[in-house]
Amino acid sequence: MKIAFTASGGNWEAQIDPRFGRTAFLVVYNEETDQLEVVDNSAVQAEAHGAGTAMAQRIYDLHPDVLITGNGPGGTAAKALKNMQMSIYVDAHNLSLKEAYAKFKENKLTLLTP
Amino acid sequence: MRELVILSGKGGTGKTSLTASFGLLAAGTVVLADCDVDASNLHLLMKPEVMSAEAFFSGELAHINPESCIGCGKCEEVCRFDAISHQAKTYRINSLNCEGCGYCAVICPTQAIDMNPARSGNLFVSEIKSGDIMAHARLFPGADNSGKLVARVKMEAKKLAEKYNRELIIVDGAPGIGCPVISSLSGADYVILVTEPSASGLHDLMRLVEVLKKFRLKAGCIINKADLHPEKAVEIEDFCKAYEIDILGKLPYDKAFTEAMIEGKTIIETNKSIRIVLEEIWNNINLKSI
Repeated sequence: MKIAFTASGGNWEAQIDPRFGRTAFLVVYNEETDQLEVVDNSAVQAEAHGAGTAMAQRIYDLHPDVLITGNGPGGTAAKALKNMQMSIYVDAHNLSLKEAYAKFKENKLTLLTP
Repeated sequence: MRELVILSGKGGTGKTSLTASFGLLAAGTVVLADCDVDASNLHLLMKPEVMSAEAFFSGELAHINPESCIGCGKCEEVCRFDAISHQAKTYRINSLNCEGCGYCAVICPTQAIDMNPARSGNLFVSEIKSGDIMAHARLFPGADNSGKLVARVKMEAKKLAEKYNRELIIVDGAPGIGCPVISSLSGADYVILVTEPSASGLHDLMRLVEVLKKFRLKAGCIINKADLHPEKAVEIEDFCKAYEIDILGKLPYDKAFTEAMIEGKTIIETNKSIRIVLEEIWNNINLKSI
């Protein structure tokens, strides 16, 4: 399974970034290979408008199974992600990636319901 | 670090007057961020002395390179914003009309059009009259506020809060529910809604609350000018209760607000009785937002 995090840095100790579209980094953990893929999000941050939908496109290209984030995507991006059959877990800000992943495994994160 | 965002949905409800008052009530613990960049006015009440300024870029503008332009006119044909005009074979971009879509640059047969980053304004860090720090921005005429600019102002405020060891950021947000508002909400711990008892005040509040619910944000409401239409004020209270929005307090309509504004002061500096009400509301906010 591939798990994506909106993150303020590129490693397990980094905090979850509460922002969806304008997150500093997108980090994708591949459980099969035990690898972290780090995507610098400064390109989307440079968008004047439409950061949320640009991020949804980016996530589509990386096709993770799960997204763990903070405030969660806005209306349009949420619709796009829903069509990708993605499970979105929210309110994980104030946690590090490591803590958020552990909570996800224990099924203790909030699942975003449309 | 806590982040309070003040929003209204409708413009003209008194959002900035209250932001400025709360900013002074929190003196010594706070960094202010003016994210209502389209019509920034917090600076009028806070008397900032600019400590540093930097250029802000948002979006792109087309530029025609006259050496490579063959004057075919295709760019003018495709530009749906009427931003390109010509005299004889010389083509020009009207930068106020150019939306930066880049269509002209894509279809130009000689690649004579570059898309350059558009400088849309300046970002400032200033010391305000209470001795606290404020991050704010000013746009050039015709430039628009954006999620990007709001994110930039907020990032600056966060850096300042860390640097000066402040526990609180108060963000003056934009009216409406568009991109700049969404951007001002990310990372917020509590949202203060300032509304007024009018049909549009309630209508715009309802739209905004719908957005807040999407992000599961905690919020409280201040009904300003509550005595202008008591029945509508009750309607707003009922709405807030139904949507689990805290009622933080009510303020009367008072010409003292306008008079303070004319003097470039906040209401708490000029009117004792309103100051007492606002102190109570501010304590209420602090209790609810922790």
